[in-house]
Amino acid sequence: MESKLINGEDTLAKLLAEIPGQVERLSEVREELLANAVLLGEIPAPTFGEGDRIRFVIDRFRENDLVAPAIDDCGNASALLPGSEGENTILVMAHADNVFDHETNHAMCVGSDRITGPGIADNAIGLSSILTLPALLDSLGLKLKDDLLLLANVKSLGRGNLEGAHHFLETTQRPFRAGICVEGATQGRLSYSGLGALRCEISLRIPGDYDWNRFGASGAIAHLSRLVGRIMEIPVPREPKTSVVFGGLRCGSTYNTVPKRGSLRFEITSEADTVVTDLESQVRDLSEEFSLESGTEVKLEIVARRPNCGILFSHPLVKTTRAIMDSLAITPKVDPSTGDLNAIVQAGHPGVTLGLTTAENLRDENETVLLEPLFKGLAQLIALLRAIDEGLCDA
Amino acid sequence: MTNDINSWLEQNTFHHSDFWDLRKLVEEKERKGLTISLCIPTLNEEKTIGKEVLILRSELMERYGLVDEFAVIDSGSDDRTREVASAYGADVYLASDILPEMGNKRGKGENLWKAIYQLKGDVICYVDADISNIHPRFVYGLVAPLIQCDEIKYAKAFYDRPLNYSSGLRPSGGGRVTEILIRPLFSLFYPELTNVIQPLSGEYAARREVLERIPFPIGYGVETAHLLDLYQEYGIEAFAQTDLDRRVHRNQTTNALGKMSFGILQTFLNRLRSHGRIDQLPDMETIYRQFEVEEGHYRQLTHKVVEEERPPMIEIEAYLARRKLSKQP
Repeated sequence: MESKLINGEDTLAKLLAEIPGQVERLSEVREELLANAVLLGEIPAPTFGEGDRIRFVIDRFRENDLVAPAIDDCGNASALLPGSEGENTILVMAHADNVFDHETNHAMCVGSDRITGPGIADNAIGLSSILTLPALLDSLGLKLKDDLLLLANVKSLGRGNLEGAHHFLETTQRPFRAGICVEGATQGRLSYSGLGALRCEISLRIPGDYDWNRFGASGAIAHLSRLVGRIMEIPVPREPKTSVVFGGLRCGSTYNTVPKRGSLRFEITSEADTVVTDLESQVRDLSEEFSLESGTEVKLEIVARRPNCGILFSHPLVKTTRAIMDSLAITPKVDPSTGDLNAIVQAGHPGVTLGLTTAENLRDENETVLLEPLFKGLAQLIALLRAIDEGLCDA
Repeated sequence: MTNDINSWLEQNTFHHSDFWDLRKLVEEKERKGLTISLCIPTLNEEKTIGKEVLILRSELMERYGLVDEFAVIDSGSDDRTREVASAYGADVYLASDILPEMGNKRGKGENLWKAIYQLKGDVICYVDADISNIHPRFVYGLVAPLIQCDEIKYAKAFYDRPLNYSSGLRPSGGGRVTEILIRPLFSLFYPELTNVIQPLSGEYAARREVLERIPFPIGYGVETAHLLDLYQEYGIEAFAQTDLDRRVHRNQTTNALGKMSFGILQTFLNRLRSHGRIDQLPDMETIYRQFEVEEGHYRQLTHKVVEEERPPMIEIEAYLARRKLSKQP
């Protein structure tokens, strides 16, 4: 046992020592990586509308001679890069959808040190790294022992509710040694747990027989703002850490017409599932009470629900990831995930989410990734794959 | 001529998807021992040049080996065009540094002409630098007809117009200058050339052996001159055209189009003179030719347009009588 530990430490030390030299060599694949990112980024891929982007992904898998490229029933694209031994499989995934609709101009602008365009950071550059991974490994002369299963998963964001990732992990027959979710931003991100979350949408409608002469009568905007105020009065505990984020309010269309309907989107997150359940119950009661009080129709819809899950901070996968980041002078920012990592962990596999580079204006149409830090981010990803491949991350 | 025209349209009009198998295309290119140079002429294009070089070079040089040489020939940009192009691996030249003994003229045609001297390929493909939806099809769609068919010497792009009609029929043509100036002129003087759906498109590929034998207007008339000179020498059979779907680019003001038309008209009239047509004008054609497309097939629409004329009213007897005027001598 002790001898295995010493061997493991030696192997990790050797691997860490090689990382800085790899950053420069990875930049030899810069053009292919960035071209993939731009071509992917220019194909609109709103959640539930990722088909065209997925076709591009599957074509690339085929062009790269990967094994068993396939699109599953849910629309996910996957393919296998066989290892020299193939006893284990490592899952590397990136979500293919973004928050921009088909009408958004998806043209990317390529400068000498940055790329700007909607969804380039979240997640065209992340997805591009998956497509380019075989070339990146080749550039370093690396051949892993484990198989790599590359996955572009769909229906991840918003109402997608991780459907693609859940579907893939539920239907695939392979056990995974570990899973890595790749996000374009932000370098240093280290997620190893999924945060309990509840995404809610409240729709408010003023009925046709609404009594406009009653006390407090008003349009949908005023009602919704009162409702927001009431939700904010619900006590939110500091421990376990809990937050309520209001992410969207849609109501009204002009200056002088009282709107009759509107909707409110918000997310409750907590480190304790019981707190999420309790807050959900309070919001539900409050919605019903508000509906009766105000004479409006208020409907609460639960769009997404995720339980708390994760691996420990002391898990070898997390410890090794931190060591790799340290060797690259990347400061880890530990942040529980509400994304695809939840699906990996819920399926019983250890996993982490990594960010590749620095980004600006996230989720705006002028979203930007900086190119200089990108290769350090990729070196981090490849080092972690090697560590998993060497058995350094097994619990 | 209608049958010939339809036959040329069917045989020499392509869609870029006809050439999707780039591996086969590269094999054919290598079998024939052809080399291909890609030239992008630039002047202050820092916003789009990076993406063009990145995508085209990565896909067509690194991934598939279709293009052997990639050059940006710049007219002296004062923005970061040359720096950005160079950062993504293009060979960047200042037009003024090429053939300096011939002097330096400023215009796109100058860069295209100097590319023939500077570049090595048997085929040169020219692509404008302002395409914001750049894609490898903008190159392989043009060089493929030249690789596959030895008789074709010049392949020109045309694009989908973003207009759709519920009937499934839609007009297919060029921009404003094409429809208002070029197509009427071609209909009058060179009816066969009206088959070229977008004669002014800035993307085309040609064999060196023909490019080196024609003069190059340095300004707006270069595309028109190419068509007229090669048509005069080789006939319509030397041309091909490829549908490259949509092209998104800057829109030009009407004033700019007026300048462009003026330059093109000069080129056109010069060609009429050198082709011996200006002093001996043929009978005017009265058929105006346009295109429509249905389910991928292009069909020429012809309209008889006879511009009859009335004499001056002063020569009409009834008018003179009504106005109590006497007939002028």
